[in-house]
Amino acid sequence: MKNASVKTRISTRALLMGTAFGTALLSGLSSASAETLTVWSGYPEMAPFYEHVAQGLKASHPDLDVKVEAIALREHEKRVALGLTGGQEGITVIELSGSTATRYLENSLLPEAPDDVAAFVKDPKNFDKFFSDTASYDGTVYGVPLFRGQGALYYNTDMFKAAGLTEPPKTMEDYSKYAEKLTKRDASGKATVSGWSLRLSGGGQGIAEKFWINMHQYGGAILVPAGDGKWKADFANEAGRKALKQYLENIYTLKTVTPEMPADADAFERGQTAMFIRESWVIGDIAKKAPDLKYATAPLPKGSIALPTNLYVAGDDADIGWEFAKAASSPENLVWLLENVGWLPNRSGVDYSSVTAKQPAFAAFVNYPQGYEFFTLPSIGPIEEILTRVAAQLVVAFGDASMATDDAKINAFLKKASDEVNTILDREGLLAK
Amino acid sequence: MLKRKRFIFAILAILPTLAIFAYVRLYPIADTLRLSLFKWDILSRNKPFIGLANFRELTGDHLFLDALVNTTIIAFGVLFLTIPMALVIAALIFHRTRSRMAGFYETAVFIPHVVSLVPAAMAWKWIFDARLGPLNALLDFFGIPMQNWLFDPVLSVICIIVLCSWQALGYAVLIYIVGFKNLPVSLYEAAKLDGASGPQSFWHLSIPMLKPITLYVSVVTLVSGFNVYAQAFVLASDAQGAPGRQVRVLVLDMLENSFRNYRVGYAASEAVVLLVIVLVLTLIQFSMLRERGRA
Repeated sequence: MKNASVKTRISTRALLMGTAFGTALLSGLSSASAETLTVWSGYPEMAPFYEHVAQGLKASHPDLDVKVEAIALREHEKRVALGLTGGQEGITVIELSGSTATRYLENSLLPEAPDDVAAFVKDPKNFDKFFSDTASYDGTVYGVPLFRGQGALYYNTDMFKAAGLTEPPKTMEDYSKYAEKLTKRDASGKATVSGWSLRLSGGGQGIAEKFWINMHQYGGAILVPAGDGKWKADFANEAGRKALKQYLENIYTLKTVTPEMPADADAFERGQTAMFIRESWVIGDIAKKAPDLKYATAPLPKGSIALPTNLYVAGDDADIGWEFAKAASSPENLVWLLENVGWLPNRSGVDYSSVTAKQPAFAAFVNYPQGYEFFTLPSIGPIEEILTRVAAQLVVAFGDASMATDDAKINAFLKKASDEVNTILDREGLLAK
Repeated sequence: MLKRKRFIFAILAILPTLAIFAYVRLYPIADTLRLSLFKWDILSRNKPFIGLANFRELTGDHLFLDALVNTTIIAFGVLFLTIPMALVIAALIFHRTRSRMAGFYETAVFIPHVVSLVPAAMAWKWIFDARLGPLNALLDFFGIPMQNWLFDPVLSVICIIVLCSWQALGYAVLIYIVGFKNLPVSLYEAAKLDGASGPQSFWHLSIPMLKPITLYVSVVTLVSGFNVYAQAFVLASDAQGAPGRQVRVLVLDMLENSFRNYRVGYAASEAVVLLVIVLVLTLIQFSMLRERGRA
């Protein structure tokens, strides 16, 4: 009887182990037969879009398993640098701005697009030359253009109405005048709601990018091309002085904004600032976080930054990766992107009117005036280092009240910052002599 | 013969440990030293030897020099704040050992040391907030002008010193309590018989006798102070565009040069400078302990 019980236990164990082993084997086999694709994004708000694209591919690829890993941009950049140089495994669709991707392309760390994808990208019916060029290197296509960061003014219409302002500012001088009128103050005169939110602190290159956008309105640029792939700094001049002076004037003379005041989209959504310049994704953000906010958008006085972001594919035998990248640029998906996320798609010939009609705030991004001038970040290796260093210098300048009324000091500051940029360009062999 | 066999056995027994130690501790240091002599771009295939050019560039790099000055101020600031406070708190806890609350005191002081850094730093970020923070509310209550704690170049460094000291204090107190427990009771009894008061015993007996502990805690605190990073990063960061002023510290500068600028060789030369600083501090500790041993 006892022996029988032991035998039963042994056979039960054997059965259980066999079942477990079999299940593990089968699951291993099924996972081996399933296609797995990883998407790396630097914008957490893009995750639902890539999941939507993956869902659309289910019909043709029922076994496709898409893992979307969308993290903060700076961490994403570190991940890409380590992943591509360390040899990441599997097929990965990587979202990168054209200027950042150049460094990887220079060092052959990303593969060329297959012929059909290259033909799709180069077709002027699909993409403007500006966008297909930023997805290419030395004339060869390496990525599929997806969306762009483009700036416009966001302004709180209730606050404008209360201040007696009927239309958005048209010149940079208007911006300061409007900011003064829009600033709300407590009894002591201290600003409680900023008239114009400016990027004044923090780390990273964002401060320099925002400064460049403002300086662009005065006709200036941090870097300008000088032929033969060479560049030089170009902001120690009148445009640079005007732009910096406007920042300092708003902080110290007009006192419309201070570094410690809440800023950016969060502040705008909470009614803590009356206006600010930002990309189109804020429209989607407002729809989610502050749907009752009364606001409008307007083009900037002269033009805007246009920072194209493309999809690149890494990994061997990456056909499914390219199929995903191409599917992301399908008209249906791009309309979904604009409507649900708010980033501006780069593809031409797509009818976005269903979205723009519903959300008039997109008008400033698509219906800009004739002669509106766009600029983008140069596709050169040290661009991030240059912007980060200019940003570090600007933070110091923004903290120097004595500079607000001293043009000579501003000029000296701009000369010093400009020299530092030229030193970096020289070190990398990119300085125009 | 037996002695030799024992020796070989001992070597063989210790070899795996030595090999692991060499691989995970010594090799990275040696490799960092090597990298500092190259133009080692993480993405570039061409990584030429450039001798001491990275170190020469460091001498004129204002961001590195800012980081070095800030890090040094933070490290010594934490040291000068933590050591006297830890000594006094440890003495108070030790002399209340018989109290029912002794366990609570020890735990309360030690908890900040084990709390995860990021949520702790976020809490301090709120405390230092210029508009909504309780610190400014308190200042305002007493009629003192409110301060831009996280935006002023000097105050933002002080904020990091306070945060780091708050974290380092628990460990220092714990080590000091162990030190106090090992002090000979007879000396205190003799001092009491001679009419010494409590503070006099603390000043003339405890402090001199705890010198080795003070040296150990000092170096540990100073070395961790030179490695400050997350505190500066969290206090300056936010979801979007409204962060505090970024206090540049050495580790932050290294990370930026490595992964944003892809200049790993240059970042390695910064790491070498940090290594030299830490080594010098450790040597000072050893020499001071040795002097005490001879005395």
